[in-house]
Amino acid sequence: MMYQDWIDLGLKKGITDLEVFAVRNKSMKLSVYQNKLDQHVQSDVESITIRGIYENKLSTVRFENLSDAHVDQLLDQLMANAKALTVVEPAIIYEGSKSYPEIKDELFDFGSVPVPQKIDLLKNLEQQILANPFVTQVQTAVYQEIDTETTLVNSKGLHLSRHNTYAYVYAEGVFQKEDDIKTAYDIKLAKSFNEFDVKQMAEETIRKGVAKLGGKSIASGEYPVVFSNEMFGEILEVFSSIFSGEAAYRNMTFLKDKVNQQIAGKDVNLIDDPLHPDAHFKTGFDDEGVACSKRYVVENGVFKGFNHNLKTATIFKEEPTGNGFRGGISTTNFYLEPQENDFDTLISDIKDGVFITDLVGLHAGVKTISGEFNLQASGFKIKDGKIDHPVKMIVISGNFFEAIKHVKGIGADLKFGLSGVGSPSVYIESLMIGGEA
Amino acid sequence: MLKKVEIQKLLNESLQTGADFAEIFIEDTESSMIRVISGDVTSIDRGNIYGAGVRLIQGVDEVYGFTNHVTYESILGVVKNLRASFSGELTKTIPLGDKKPYKNNIKKPMNSVSVKEKSEVLQALSNQIKNYDKRIVQAVSLLLEIEQNVLIANSEGIYQDDKRTYSRVHMTAVAQENGVMQHAAESPGRYMGFEIFDAIDAKTYANQVAESAITLLSADDMTAQVMPVVLHNAFGGVIFHEACGHPLEATSVAKGLSPFVGKLGQKVGSDLVTAYDDGDVEGAWGRLSYDDEGKPTQKNLLIEKGVLKGYLIDYRNARKMKMDTTGSGRRQSYKYSPTSRMNSTYIAPGKDKFEDIIRDTKYGLFAKKLGGGAVDPATGEFNFAVQEGYMIEDGKLTRPVRGAMLIGHGKDVLFKIDKVSDNLEFGQGMCGSISGSIPVDVGQPTIRVSSMTVGGSGGKK
Repeated sequence: MMYQDWIDLGLKKGITDLEVFAVRNKSMKLSVYQNKLDQHVQSDVESITIRGIYENKLSTVRFENLSDAHVDQLLDQLMANAKALTVVEPAIIYEGSKSYPEIKDELFDFGSVPVPQKIDLLKNLEQQILANPFVTQVQTAVYQEIDTETTLVNSKGLHLSRHNTYAYVYAEGVFQKEDDIKTAYDIKLAKSFNEFDVKQMAEETIRKGVAKLGGKSIASGEYPVVFSNEMFGEILEVFSSIFSGEAAYRNMTFLKDKVNQQIAGKDVNLIDDPLHPDAHFKTGFDDEGVACSKRYVVENGVFKGFNHNLKTATIFKEEPTGNGFRGGISTTNFYLEPQENDFDTLISDIKDGVFITDLVGLHAGVKTISGEFNLQASGFKIKDGKIDHPVKMIVISGNFFEAIKHVKGIGADLKFGLSGVGSPSVYIESLMIGGEA
Repeated sequence: MLKKVEIQKLLNESLQTGADFAEIFIEDTESSMIRVISGDVTSIDRGNIYGAGVRLIQGVDEVYGFTNHVTYESILGVVKNLRASFSGELTKTIPLGDKKPYKNNIKKPMNSVSVKEKSEVLQALSNQIKNYDKRIVQAVSLLLEIEQNVLIANSEGIYQDDKRTYSRVHMTAVAQENGVMQHAAESPGRYMGFEIFDAIDAKTYANQVAESAITLLSADDMTAQVMPVVLHNAFGGVIFHEACGHPLEATSVAKGLSPFVGKLGQKVGSDLVTAYDDGDVEGAWGRLSYDDEGKPTQKNLLIEKGVLKGYLIDYRNARKMKMDTTGSGRRQSYKYSPTSRMNSTYIAPGKDKFEDIIRDTKYGLFAKKLGGGAVDPATGEFNFAVQEGYMIEDGKLTRPVRGAMLIGHGKDVLFKIDKVSDNLEFGQGMCGSISGSIPVDVGQPTIRVSSMTVGGSGGKK
């Protein structure tokens, strides 16, 4: 087998230990525009990551050219790079966990559904959205199916693999009422083809788009704010990096000396659960071969400890948490635990507030180290406990560390995003809104 | 690598079933990233992107396939899969021409300088940031080097290779005092090898990030309001990139989605605004000799004295729009079909002086360092973040402010530009869109926008 040959070659060169992490990704994507197939993309790519320990230091090479000559050359490069590191940090190739959780995921063969049927699904979705009088066009209607096989083999005798298939459908409508143009989309990820419900997706897109029309800005000032489940999930996703042991080790997180301290309101439970039944993806092991398990990151507002990979766990003298992904540390399925409030109850005591349903520019308007966020937003005014007119072109500003201390309510509507981060709707006592003068 | 005759055969095969255009894009990219934290070389990683992308078009309909198995048989398999989507008569290919020379004036390619030498330069930068002030708690310096080798061949006779060499130096300072933590970053990049350190003044950048992080410690949170904003040169150009650059790309225009559709020859901004997208600025991070469709890059006039003059157009959208391509077809890698993208986009210099613009502003925000931004081309709504700002009061820069976020609308912001100075500079960024993430320059001289909505968390009771 090719991977074992590369390991043997590395060992022969004098590399102490090494690991091959291989991902084979097969994908097919269709997009429909104006009742015609606009683009059809097919792909099959295998990418390899080799991590090796040389002179007690770890270095990484990633590649797609799998020829023997190229791998030979990269292994030499790996040794030279490891040699050039000036600091010795814990370098571990893992012998494996005692046991791994069993994943019972359906492996639907999306390729078994004929392509014309998938195109029809998109045409149908486009037409149903276009049927609404406010819709001027559907700017994208996309179907993509993905089949991913992951294999991990190392010189400690570990051999793990996982296989995952899924597909998603996405459509974005352009809505117009007089001069006001808005876009709205819906996305659905499925583990088998017949889960797609075109009618429901069209209705959801239309509901979102029509509700946004006629929005206006509001006066700048301080408001109680409710984030939709999707939007608070996006905020959690950006800030998930502050819980990383690497950030703690590198002095790049405000939470560095705050383990076992109260950092959030008592209702706040943040959980990393690789096997959560509602999440889109489940995983039994991380990219270093460590078994994944459910863990409270924040429990009743108390910070329970950082997410670790093998390196940072050793540095902090803790157990690895199974969060070693893509050479660093990240969460698996990370979510805010829901409570019992339905949405109407959640907003019922807000006299004059804002409900946020869209955030733009999360890559630029967030500073994870300080916790500051300043984001272009839109949504709805909340007046006397009820949803009022749509609001657009505002900036919402606050500090994540402050906001989680001032959570006034958490909804029951937990929803996971495609990235694996989930949240219910969340009511924050007060945030600054920038709008009209 | 494939032989020319094999590529010709693959293109011929592609047009057997009705496609009237075929293109093969072969890529071999090597990259290296060296990271130094607090003076220690903590990681050196090596990367390789390798594969082939095949595109067939019939009319304006497109199929695209890619694989990392770059052999004749494997690519023929992709071709056969793709061409099954079309039916129709055979189109004849124009025989492949000869490769034209590409500009190759790289002085210090990635593999010509030892990892040790590179590491020492980065260690010096990291130490310089760290030693700037005792409140600096972390100093990161990082060198990213990329060598992208491409070959583009199509059924219209284009047979063009290109070697793109990029280097980028990231510097980050984290400062901490009294429970407040702030960071600042700079990331100059060039179409160069290790000679980037001869072209940029890295030490000055290192001092600037340290100084900026310290300044932000004591800065006030910006208070939300509507006010005049003076946007500084270089990365200030992100405003044009978001507000106008993206909506001028054919990806938006061809679908009728941009506020600039049908406005060629019409006023879209104030008389002070002239703007270009240039694909071939010497040594610039966003430059290319040939675009990813094998066409020589060129300087495209977008807006002249407020009048819309042109769009950015790729091959396929040129067919849709019945206009010429502008050398703007780009993609992150062989994993993406190319489309219209920016290179080095900038507002041309005007006649105002920087000092006069500040002096002439009674009350406003001076956005000295800008962060990234975003736009929805369909609605024209855009935003971008201010990393380091100062209040302007009575024509003078007074106190520093942090966390300002600017929002606006593409169709009216250009009309609100009422000052353009003469100090044009470029800033470097990665631009994400449907054909992936690509290096671009944004640029402008210092400009003033008469009124913008500014967000921020200041002024809380």
